Amino acid sequence: MKGRWTRIVRTPLGLTATVLVVAIAALAVLGPVLWGSGADAVDTDAILSQPSAEHWAGTDNLGRDILLRVLVASRLSITLALLAIVITVVAGLLLGSAPFVLGRRPGRLVAAVVNIAVAFPGLLLALFFAVVFGVGATGAVLAIGLAGAPAFGRLTQTLVAGVAERDYVAAARTMGIGRFRILVRHVLPNIAEPLVVNATVGAGTALLSFAGLSFLGLGVQSPSYDWGRLLYDGIGTIYVNAAAALVPGAAVLLAGLAFNLFGESVAKGLGIPVGIGLRAASPARAGSASGPERTGQGEDPGDRPSDVVLDVRDLEVTVSGPSGPVRPVRGVSFDVRRGEAVGIVGESGSGKSMTALAITRLLADQGRVDASRLDLLGNDLLAPDTPARRRMLGTTLAMVFQDPMTAFNPTRRIGAQLAEVATHHQGMSRRDAMARVVDRLTAVRIPDADTRVRQYPHEFSGGMRQRAMIGMGLMGTPALIVADEPTTALDVTVQQQVLDLLTAIREADDVALILISHDVTVVGEVCDRILVMYAGRIVEDMPAADLAAARHPYTRALVDAVPDMNTDLDELLATIPGRPVDPADVPSGCAYADRCPLADARCQAEDPPLAADQADSPRHRVACWHAGEALPAQPDDQSIDELVESP
Amino acid sequence: MSELRFEDVTVRYGRTTAVDGVSLTVPEGAVVGLVGESGSGKSTLARAAVGLAPLTGGRITLGGAPVPARGRSRPLQMVFQDPYSSLDPRMTVGRCVAEAIPPGGSRAGRRAEVERLLELVHLNPACAAVVPSRLSGGQRQRVALARALAARPRVIIADEITSALDVSVQGAVLNLVRELQRELGLAMLFISHNLAVVRYVASHVAVMRHGRLVEQGPTTRVLTEPGHDFTRELLAAVPGRTTRRSTP
Repeated sequence: MKGRWTRIVRTPLGLTATVLVVAIAALAVLGPVLWGSGADAVDTDAILSQPSAEHWAGTDNLGRDILLRVLVASRLSITLALLAIVITVVAGLLLGSAPFVLGRRPGRLVAAVVNIAVAFPGLLLALFFAVVFGVGATGAVLAIGLAGAPAFGRLTQTLVAGVAERDYVAAARTMGIGRFRILVRHVLPNIAEPLVVNATVGAGTALLSFAGLSFLGLGVQSPSYDWGRLLYDGIGTIYVNAAAALVPGAAVLLAGLAFNLFGESVAKGLGIPVGIGLRAASPARAGSASGPERTGQGEDPGDRPSDVVLDVRDLEVTVSGPSGPVRPVRGVSFDVRRGEAVGIVGESGSGKSMTALAITRLLADQGRVDASRLDLLGNDLLAPDTPARRRMLGTTLAMVFQDPMTAFNPTRRIGAQLAEVATHHQGMSRRDAMARVVDRLTAVRIPDADTRVRQYPHEFSGGMRQRAMIGMGLMGTPALIVADEPTTALDVTVQQQVLDLLTAIREADDVALILISHDVTVVGEVCDRILVMYAGRIVEDMPAADLAAARHPYTRALVDAVPDMNTDLDELLATIPGRPVDPADVPSGCAYADRCPLADARCQAEDPPLAADQADSPRHRVACWHAGEALPAQPDDQSIDELVESP
Repeated sequence: MSELRFEDVTVRYGRTTAVDGVSLTVPEGAVVGLVGESGSGKSTLARAAVGLAPLTGGRITLGGAPVPARGRSRPLQMVFQDPYSSLDPRMTVGRCVAEAIPPGGSRAGRRAEVERLLELVHLNPACAAVVPSRLSGGQRQRVALARALAARPRVIIADEITSALDVSVQGAVLNLVRELQRELGLAMLFISHNLAVVRYVASHVAVMRHGRLVEQGPTTRVLTEPGHDFTRELLAAVPGRTTRRSTP
C-alpha cells in the first residue's frame, strides 16, 4: 500500500495534485487564524476600491479586503464540501450495499428507488432539498450531500454486485457467515479503491455545487461567507472591480481542480496496473539491458536440409515489465521441417506462447523480437513489413488461438470473416472467395457449410468455432500452422476431434504444425518432436517416441505428474516443489536448479547448454548437467512446502 | 452416519433445466467422481448442495437430515475451481482459514488450529501471515482445502479443483486429496472433466450429460465396461490412450 502511495506522488500529475491539496488544506486550517481579523476590518475610506498595492484584489462595499476574505473563506468552503461528501458517501454506501444485505426481493426495491433517483439531475435534487431543509449552510450541506447519494449508491451497488459473484464470497456463504459480516469483511475492502477515488472527485464536485448554491443565494448567508457568497457579492460590482468576482472564482476553480486531479491520480496509482509485461519496451531501454547471453545454445547442426519450413536461431523476446525490461524468451533455437509436427510444452510463464507470437509476428507492437535467424520458407521474418511480405505471411502461415470465441469478430458472419483472407491476400472476387470458404469449411468437417457461412460466431459451438478458425488458416496454402493451446477451452470429447482434424490436415497437405500445450500427453499424442520449455529456454528437444525416456528431470517430472488411464493407483503422483521462475528474475545458472532434486553447485553457477548428450540419438538434445541420472525416490510423507517469497 | 444423498434433484434457471432429476449418493468415507462436459450441470448440482443455487425439485440430505443452510454449523463444504478467485485477495491466509473455524475457543486455540490445518495440507505455518498473491496456484488451492477443512465438514465437494492449475502442481493437490480421504475418512464429491484424474482419486464415478445422470457405479467397472455410449465417448477421448510411443 505504502509503495503505491509513493508511486502516486512520483508522477508529475500526482505531485502537482498532492501539493495543491496540501496547500489548500493548510490554507483552510491557517487562513482564519492568520487573516481573520484583517478580513473583517472595515475601512470606510476605501469602499469598493480598485486593486492596489494595499488591497491586491480591491475592497467590497464595506471596504474589506477581498483577497483576505477569499483566503479566510477557504475554511468554510472546504469544510462544507467535505461534510457534504461525507453525507454522500455514507448515504450512498447504505443505499448501495442494501440490496446485498437484504437479499433478493427487498434488495430489488432499494435498487429500483436508487435507479429512479439517479435519473434526476443532481442540481435539481439539490435545489429540491435546499427548499425542504431551508436556506442556509446546514440546508445546503444536506442538500448537496443527499443529492450525490443516488449516484454514489448506484456505483457502490454495481461494484458490490461484481464482488458478490466472486468465489470467495460464495465460500464465505457456505461457511455460514452472515451477509453483513461478508459485506464488511470481504466485499467493502475489495471495492474500497474505486470508492475512495470517487469520493475524492466528488469532493471537488461538492465544492463547485456549493459555490453554485451560495451564488444563487441558497447557500451560506451573511455575515458568514464562503467562496460562492463572495462570488455572489463580487458579481454585482464586476464593472467597477472585476477582481472582486474573479478572485473567488479562481479559488473555486483551483480547489475543485485540485480535488479532481488528486482523485484521478489516486485512481491511476491505486488501480490495477494495466498491461504489465505486454507493453513495448522502448528500444533504448531494451538496448541498455545486459546484452543477450548467447551461450552454447543453438549451434547449427552441420547439415541444413532444404525442406526446413521454419528456422529459428537464438530467438529472444523482450517486453517491458513494471520494473525494467523482462525477457520471457531467452535464446530459443529450433527448426520445423515440411510436414513435421513439433510440440512445445511448458508451464504457464515458460515463454511458449511468446515464442509462438514472435514467430507469427503478432508481437509487433508489444515487445521486441531479436534473433540471429528467423526464416519462414527462406523469408526473413525480422525484415521490415512490406505488403508482399504480409501477403506471404497471410497465406503461408496459419494461427489457431486458444479461445475461438474471442478470435472471431462477434458482429460479422463467419463466411465474411473467412472470405476476407482470400479477397485481401489472393485478390479473389467475393463470389470465388465465398465458394472457397464453403470448400474449406467442408474440409474442416463442418456440416452444411453453405448455410453455416451465413451464421454468426455465437451460433457455432466451441468445437465448431475452433474448426472454423482452422478453416480460416486453410484459406491460403499454409506451410505452417501454429496452434496455441487449441483445445484447452474445449471439452475432452471435442478436443479429440480437433486434434484428429489437425493431424489429418497435416498428413493430407504435408503442412508443418507447431502445437503449444501445457499437457504433455496431448502433445505426445499428436507430435513427432517435443520441445520442453522452462523459463524462456528449451531444456529438452526429443522425438515424441522418447517421451517415456526423457532425460531432463523437469520433463520427467512433467510426465510423471499427469495421471493417465494406466497410472498405478497405489503410487503418489510426482510433484515439482516451488513455483516457476519469474521471467523478471531469472537466476544465473540453470533456471530449474531451485526445484530440481539433482541440482548441485555447478547447476547453480553455470547454465547448461542444449546439446545431444548421447551418441546414439543425435536428435535428442537436453540442457542439463545431470541428464538421465536416477532421481532420488520421493519421500513417502510429503515434506512441508516452504513459504514462497513474492516475485 | 454422514451420507450425502441427492434425491431426484432438479434445478431450473428460468426456462433452462440445468439439473434434471438427479439421484446420487456419496457414501460415508468414499470419494465419488462426477464427470461430464461443460454445461452438463455438474457444478450446478454442487452449488445446489451448499445452498448457492435454489432447488426446483427434489431434496438433498446429509446423514438423513436436510443440509443446514442457516447458522454457523456447515457440515458440507465446497472447494472451488479457481484458487485465484476463491481466496479474498485482501485477507491473509491465516485469517482466511480462521474465519471458517466454528466460533468459540480462545484466540491461541484458533491460532493453533490454523497451524494444524496448514500443516495438514503441507503448507508451512508461516504462510499464515501472507496474502494469497504471494502463493502459487497449487499452494492457494491447498489453502482453500484447509479453509474447507476448518469448518469440520463431514463431506467436501471439490469442483474441478485441479483444472485451473499447471500439471506440475496438479499432482500435489491430487496426492493431498487422496491422503486426506485416507487419513481423515472424509467423504468427497469430486467433480472433474478429466477421467484419468477421477480414476486416480475416486472409488465411484457418476457420468452426467445435459443435466441427467447417464451412468454411475464403481470406478473400475464404469471405466472398463462402460454401459452408456456417452461414457464410451468420454473414455475414447482421454489423451494418451493412443500415444505414438508404441509405434516406431
